[in-house]
Amino acid sequence: MKFQKKRASTKQNIPTASLPDIVFMLLLFFMVTTTLREVDVLVQFRLPEAKAIEKIENKRLVSYVWVGQDSRIQVNDSITKLEEIQKIMYAKRVALPNIIISLRVDKNSDMGAVTDIQQELRKASCLRINYSAMLKI
Amino acid sequence: MVKLKKRKLPEAEIPTSSMADISFLLLLFFLVSTVIDVDTGIGMVLPEFIPTEQQEFVPISKDRLAAVLINENGDVLLNNEVIAIPQISKTLKPRIESKIELPGNKKLVVSVKTDRKTNYNLYIQALDQIKQAYFEVRSEYAQTKYGKRFVDIDERSEEMKEIKEKIPITISIAEPEAIKK
Repeated sequence: MKFQKKRASTKQNIPTASLPDIVFMLLLFFMVTTTLREVDVLVQFRLPEAKAIEKIENKRLVSYVWVGQDSRIQVNDSITKLEEIQKIMYAKRVALPNIIISLRVDKNSDMGAVTDIQQELRKASCLRINYSAMLKI
Repeated sequence: MVKLKKRKLPEAEIPTSSMADISFLLLLFFLVSTVIDVDTGIGMVLPEFIPTEQQEFVPISKDRLAAVLINENGDVLLNNEVIAIPQISKTLKPRIESKIELPGNKKLVVSVKTDRKTNYNLYIQALDQIKQAYFEVRSEYAQTKYGKRFVDIDERSEEMKEIKEKIPITISIAEPEAIKK
């Protein structure tokens, strides 16, 4: 007696026609929820850690100031002198009145550098700031 | 009569099997070039810039003021008493709590002052402690008054408005002294 293999009579291939649609959905999700990386960070820094931190709810309002380990200051895409911060920030503030300045300062810097930047920001009347910090676990 | 042969049309189909690959490539590009991480940090509002000549001296009564001084060695002075940084939150909490029911112009003002040589990390730690004290008072108030956790209260609700009115976070960054440059 010959045994016959049981086999389903349906087609065996997985329908892949909808695969592009699924991937496009994923793509769209990422395009909507994320923002493009805007700048290259030229300075090296390690953020301080804190517990009572808040999220910045609106990323498009945020503008960054980096202060590296070697206390160089970076605004936008380039290393900037302290005296130029006021001019740059004022232009930014005119374009975006409720701008938040996120200070990404290396944790071993001196307060003097931070105070100087803060004074410049006050002169440019960018008063909302955020000391960027990582969550301490 | 010659029988006309019906010409068979070739099947007109666009090959779509590579579509998935193309869209995967696009997806990868976006994954690489975008940032998802949320920015976290300690939010502050700087005081307005007023030139030194126009500055007015407004006296603040002693019981309203909590002055935090951090010197370059990392010693912390809270109202003229030397204190360790992790203790700031505990020391401030009862003072904030005692002023919940007082009107807005009698609330606690925390003033933070540093030297130019103070380590930035220490400053952030101190600021963190002050914020923690406020957050703890706020969440306890929310728990006893509304039976909700502070984080669960809607940002635009009346309850949140009341909490923010009763327990406002006033941290003043002291004007830097020119002499110490």
